[in-house]
Amino acid sequence: MTDDTEYRIERLRHRLAHGELAELGLRIEARAGAVTVSGTVADDECRETILRVVADELSGLTVHMDVAVAATEAPTRAEQI
Amino acid sequence: MTIRIAAVGDIHLGTGGTGTLRPALEGLGEQADLLLLAGDLTRHGTAEEASVVAEEFADVPVPVIAVLGNHDYHGDVPDEVAAILAARGIRTLESQAAIVDVSGCRVGIAGTKGFGGGFAGHALDAFGEPEIKAFARRSAACADGLAAALDDLRAAGCGIRIALTHYAPVPDTLAGESPEIYPFLGSYLLAQAIDASGADLAVHGHAHSGTERGMTSGGVKVRNVAQPLLGRAYALYHLDEENGQTPSTRRVEIGEPSTAVS
Repeated sequence: MTDDTEYRIERLRHRLAHGELAELGLRIEARAGAVTVSGTVADDECRETILRVVADELSGLTVHMDVAVAATEAPTRAEQI
Repeated sequence: MTIRIAAVGDIHLGTGGTGTLRPALEGLGEQADLLLLAGDLTRHGTAEEASVVAEEFADVPVPVIAVLGNHDYHGDVPDEVAAILAARGIRTLESQAAIVDVSGCRVGIAGTKGFGGGFAGHALDAFGEPEIKAFARRSAACADGLAAALDDLRAAGCGIRIALTHYAPVPDTLAGESPEIYPFLGSYLLAQAIDASGADLAVHGHAHSGTERGMTSGGVKVRNVAQPLLGRAYALYHLDEENGQTPSTRRVEIGEPSTAVS
């Protein structure tokens, strides 16, 4: 962690929001000397782009990634409301 | 009679997103009577992305009714986005109502994007700077429009009424999101409108890291159908028409008449 970690996190959030993905759905938090990036994105391409941008913006920091790809299979059961 | 509702939001289709949901949608007609789209259908709210969305749902064999989300406004052309969707049969609601006839049962959908503002005890009020007032009043206007649309559906004799929003009406379905951003994810005014006018189900999106199930203070079930959290292409809900008539007993009159019922 460096003194400017929180600003770098916000710069990453801004870049993800205003980039090609318009990604605002990730949780990005400084936690115990590292940065965690978690959430679910639309497809493998989105995930790869996010991994690349995170590596670029948070270079030199310890980053724990937990970014999954959303499932798109049809449901097999319904909920009775 | 059981009404079968399919619902999903936050699909965020970009210009390369064609076909993302098509395999799952091929069997939709056997599972559902109508499909609700809870906003954030695009990434940047451009006409090009709206065309991708329109084509994705163009041949779905059930009525498709949508609200737009904040991403769908980002390109500053929400009317164009809605028009592109409409050209392929997807009706977009904003403080409006739509009625779908399902084998003789009138199923009503009241829709608004909604807005932020937060939840009871911690909500933004229209006080102070013009920008704060505008923010709070926008949230109130969406809630008023939702209430009026639900009232219109009741007056039209709908056996089932569903509130469709992008922003969340309750904090229950935000669990998993950072509490600091709850005020940007929804407004209690939407839940107040739903409880005042009555509904059989409330469906929203917007909170990707939230949870699916919640409930208003008045007992209306709320479902967050943001696609990233569903773990499937869309959610399926079954509602019994007889049960659907129960909430109208607790309805009270609020708001102005909405702009359209068809």
